[in-house]
Amino acid sequence: MREEVSAELHPLLRDAPGQVALLLGDEAIVRGALEAGVTFASGYPGTPSSEITDTFARLAKQAGIVFEYSVNEKVALEMAFAASLAGARAITAMKHLGLMVAGDPLSTIPYVGVRGGLVIVSAGDPSCHTSPNEQDQRYLGPMLHLPVLDPATSQDALTLTRLAFAMSERSRLPVLLRITTRVAHTRAAVRFGELGKREVRGFERDPRRLVPMPAHARILRLEIPDRLATACEHIEELFQIEGDGPCVVLASGAPAATCSDVLKEAGLEAKFTLTTMGGVYPFPERALLRLLERADKVLVLEELSPFVEDALLALAARHGLRVRILGKRSGHLPEPFEYTPEIIEGALFDAFGLGSRPASAAPTPVEVPARPPVLCSGCPHRATYFAARAAFPADQLFFNDIGCYTLGFGPPLHTADALLCMGAGFTLAAGVSRMTGTRTVGFVGDSTFFHAGIPPLLNAIKEDVSMVAVILDNGVTAMTGFQESPASGLEEGRIARRASIANVARALGANHVETVDPMDVAATILAFERARDAKGVSVIVAEHPCPIWETRSTGALSARGVFEIDPDRCATCGRGACGLRCNLSISTGHERHMARSRALEAHGTSTPNVAWPEAVAPCAVHCPLGLCVQGYSGHIAAGQYSQALALIMSRLPLPDSVCRVCHKPCEDVCVRALHDGPVAINDLKRFVVDWAASQGRLPYDPPREADHGRGVAIVGAGPAGLAAAHDLRLRGYRVTVYDAEAEPGGLLRYGIPPFRLPHEVLRRDIDRILALGVDFHGSCELGRDVTLPGLLESHDSVFLALGARAPARLDLPRRDGAPPAVDALVYLKRAKDGALETARRVVVIGGGNAAVDASRVARRAGAVHVVIAYRRGREEMPAIASEIDASLDEGIEIRNHVQPIALVVGGVRLAQTQAGPPDASGRARPLVVEGSDEFVEADLVILATGQSPDLDALALERTHSGGLRVNVETAATSNPRLFAGGDLAGGARTVTEAIAWGLRAAWGIDRALRGTEAADRRPPPPLMNAWPHPQTERTRFWRADSVARSEPPHLAHDQRVSGFAEVVGTLTEAQARTEAARCAVCGMCGNCRACIDLFGCPAFYLRDGRVAIDATLCNGCGVCVAFCPNGAIRPLAREGA
Amino acid sequence: MNPNRRFRLLLVGVGGQGVLSAARMLGEAALAEGKQVVVGQIHGMSQRGGSVESTVLIGPGRSSFIGPGGADALLALEPLEAMRALPRLSRRTRVVVSLGKIPPFTLAQKGQPYPDLDGVLAALRGAARDVITVDGPALAEAAGSARALNMVMLGALASLGVLPVSLEAVEKALQDSGPGGQAGCRAFRLGGKAIAR
Repeated sequence: MREEVSAELHPLLRDAPGQVALLLGDEAIVRGALEAGVTFASGYPGTPSSEITDTFARLAKQAGIVFEYSVNEKVALEMAFAASLAGARAITAMKHLGLMVAGDPLSTIPYVGVRGGLVIVSAGDPSCHTSPNEQDQRYLGPMLHLPVLDPATSQDALTLTRLAFAMSERSRLPVLLRITTRVAHTRAAVRFGELGKREVRGFERDPRRLVPMPAHARILRLEIPDRLATACEHIEELFQIEGDGPCVVLASGAPAATCSDVLKEAGLEAKFTLTTMGGVYPFPERALLRLLERADKVLVLEELSPFVEDALLALAARHGLRVRILGKRSGHLPEPFEYTPEIIEGALFDAFGLGSRPASAAPTPVEVPARPPVLCSGCPHRATYFAARAAFPADQLFFNDIGCYTLGFGPPLHTADALLCMGAGFTLAAGVSRMTGTRTVGFVGDSTFFHAGIPPLLNAIKEDVSMVAVILDNGVTAMTGFQESPASGLEEGRIARRASIANVARALGANHVETVDPMDVAATILAFERARDAKGVSVIVAEHPCPIWETRSTGALSARGVFEIDPDRCATCGRGACGLRCNLSISTGHERHMARSRALEAHGTSTPNVAWPEAVAPCAVHCPLGLCVQGYSGHIAAGQYSQALALIMSRLPLPDSVCRVCHKPCEDVCVRALHDGPVAINDLKRFVVDWAASQGRLPYDPPREADHGRGVAIVGAGPAGLAAAHDLRLRGYRVTVYDAEAEPGGLLRYGIPPFRLPHEVLRRDIDRILALGVDFHGSCELGRDVTLPGLLESHDSVFLALGARAPARLDLPRRDGAPPAVDALVYLKRAKDGALETARRVVVIGGGNAAVDASRVARRAGAVHVVIAYRRGREEMPAIASEIDASLDEGIEIRNHVQPIALVVGGVRLAQTQAGPPDASGRARPLVVEGSDEFVEADLVILATGQSPDLDALALERTHSGGLRVNVETAATSNPRLFAGGDLAGGARTVTEAIAWGLRAAWGIDRALRGTEAADRRPPPPLMNAWPHPQTERTRFWRADSVARSEPPHLAHDQRVSGFAEVVGTLTEAQARTEAARCAVCGMCGNCRACIDLFGCPAFYLRDGRVAIDATLCNGCGVCVAFCPNGAIRPLAREGA
Repeated sequence: MNPNRRFRLLLVGVGGQGVLSAARMLGEAALAEGKQVVVGQIHGMSQRGGSVESTVLIGPGRSSFIGPGGADALLALEPLEAMRALPRLSRRTRVVVSLGKIPPFTLAQKGQPYPDLDGVLAALRGAARDVITVDGPALAEAAGSARALNMVMLGALASLGVLPVSLEAVEKALQDSGPGGQAGCRAFRLGGKAIAR
């Protein structure tokens, strides 16, 4: 608030008796006090009393009076009482709730007695305009022996305040001036009296009176009736009587003025006597008896409880009067809420039998969208809440307190699970924590902290409660009109003194205390995360000045229109053009994860914008299926496993298998690899898939088209064939799958050993696909049992997904007595059939997955010494790195840069190789080093040097290297009804790539048979070169703390080679969520609306379904820029700039 | 009509638009002309962009309520807020409404459209004696500042001749209101001219 220190005299200080001014009730009270010569004023802001204290704050200097905004109402009352003891007239003002805070001194002051007149203004709030309760403070009169005055208008407020000082001094009782919102906030004409003379008579020692020890108190108590009687003499004189009709109304407070107007407008004045009480306690019995004696019926008109009505009933009973007293007890008037003219008119007509009321237009209810109050744009509280929600789990309990920040209770912030009163934000958090054992969070504001937050904080520290106490320190008491906070004293509108909340917390014994600037989103999230993980009481002071107050107090213009949305980045994942944008709705949990990651990534950079996300994350670019890794990891981080599974299964029809056997190209390019290890992406996928299996019911049901009768034959039931079958069924095709083996699965079933992919796991995938209505014909060899022309005749299309079954040949000289040599796939299949020959020493030739799998099977089949011989280096081995590691773990020896040159008696001769000129693949061709060969013992040699498809039976166009000529996008061959993929096309070397081929083939077939539009409803996996490959070593400014990659459990060594049990286990839920939270969210998200869903700054709005920023509201706080997951908020482009 | 019946003006708008100060200026003008006047400022939690209303009652009386059908005039600084006041309009009510929309953020962030303006105006016309629409934001800009909206609108209302207060008295109240009074006075006149034309 800007202190207006101007030479011009404050209007309320004009010594102009008779002058009429338009004053609020609150302002009239100030003038009344000035006319009474008030010398001290105090208070604590609270609507609707704030204008009293605000007015004192403005004119105190000019008036030469001492004013303070006290730390709380108890202090305010004690200060005013002390001023009274010092011989000055004193006033203190607060709202009704505040007077309860001051209850302790209030209850003893009447005993001790005042010297200078002491007036306590307490503003009640019938109808709860701005309060959590209505409260009828008049009962404090009889309860604590306080005279109570009850003004009805601004003029009453002035007159009664002035009188209250005299009354207080004569009776030596403090006088309670009770007002309501209607009186406080109605502006009406007020006639000034003379300004009073200020006086401080000085403190007079009188311990017997001023030290109310019990012995003294008993004496003081006996004086009270006389003192009340003195006060009552004044109150007896405070009646205002309008009219002298037969119908008698006794009114008090605001309804008196309303009733007067109702009578006037209804033309009923002549029928009524309206008696208005200026004071309601002590009860002015003399005057009221006079009233009762001349009436046969009295309607009592007072808001809230029947205070006067009950006293009047008692009075009439005591005096044996037969007058009827009507009001709330008689059912003519309600207790709750303000009395409107309509309520009063109804009661008048009803009570006095005036007939039917003149018809008034019944209010037409209208549906108008609500316009609730909201935290302002740029509010630091919103930033604090955002960070808290990002740091704490979704089910975190938050307790809140009284202030602007209460507005965090609603969507999207949801940071108030309960709220009670000043300071209780901490107490509620502590109490619930003690009972439930969960770590809770309590919020209080700076002003509230000093008002009533220190005792509960100390209490929690004393009891070592597990909670996080957050002080939202914006430097000012903003809600009630920017009064100074006890934390910051103002001089000439500038902060002149600042209490350190952090130091207070430390002094109270808090061990973990941090001060953060909430506008630094990442620092605040990290501070909250430390507090979350700490023990006992953690204290976070979120310190940033209220921007509205800052602009007002400095007079600076606030910035407007600083940022705008970049439409090319907002709500797009960069894949819209290829149709792969997921159609799954996003959850706030996922958005929160993305926003947190983005904020932390940008942490510590001079400008947050340097960490713009990639259009598509490198993991997604390198995934053959184009899986949205950040999507499912985000859902896992948020604990939303069903959504994660849906995202995976919408693109991956064999999730159970792939999450165990994938070659994980995504992890190779994960940006986190350079920092603290790649995210364990496939383990995350497996966690969700195994979670779904443990649920017994798959929480995902893919969208399916109705059957349309077209049929497709698929030859080969390996991953490519099964994937194609799956997608073609979803596209409404009849699908028949033929395979040479008895059971479907191909390589998954017959090639990959069960310690990597257990049968029952594979079965889940296969059963799910067959259950879609896929016909499977096993033991059905192409060329023997079915022919290609036959299939083409009986089906609309044929997809060949034969896989590579013909072993690659390795021409080696072989001596008699040399060990047997077997193809790896044959060996692996025999292992599945349980028909393994035992060999003590095994040499495996090759470096791919088949070689590693075969070597590990050989160990399990009893081999004591297994050697993998590969002609290139370890890094160049095509096998999955983690599998190579597992083989080493199992005691398998890997010899690199060696090549067999002959099979000899009892073993193999291996020669060393060296790098030669590049071959067709671009790699260096290994050349044998002459004379370097050595003998290695072997009882069995397994050849795993690659397989090739058996194409001889097919009369189709080939590539120059012998593969089929196939369109890589559609899997189409030169025959328009024949499609081929997987190994046949020479492209798919892994299970995941084979699945991608199958899915592309399904799309290609659909496109050929039904056209592009129908086919594109289910877009195929992208080709690897669909997008520019992001740089893994990007100029990213990674500031997040290192978090070690989570590793799933592995089977113990001694149990591994003795059987075929699965080696690698599943991450625990806690591991998975931690691991998922490591995802840096490199890519953009097409469904993100984090700014609105999580932050809710009123500057954001939707225009045609897209987020926009209202330039008139954006004041450039920049918080949204720091967390926008898509990096889609940029400085506003200014014309001419 | 009952000669005791007061003239009742309801002013509505959104927190920050200056509803309370417009009401106060009118109250000061009425007082200066020796009229009895009451200004109700039961504003609730208006400071944070919520709905705000104020009442000005001119004539003999002390209370500040305007009940169902009770408004003689409605000055609305925002159309939706005018709509909210509908139950207090009657066939007697003159309505002056600024067409500048402030979408409630609750609607804006859900992508729900602001209620159809023609529909709002039709509802007002169906309930009131007449409805005068004013391009308040444009006039305020013309008067030098978006913050002048309340004064241009007050000027528009005053120029209809429905207020029991003279234009001169309002201008005087504005001039005496401290710094910014001159600008407020210009905005007030501009609003009046816009209606007169």
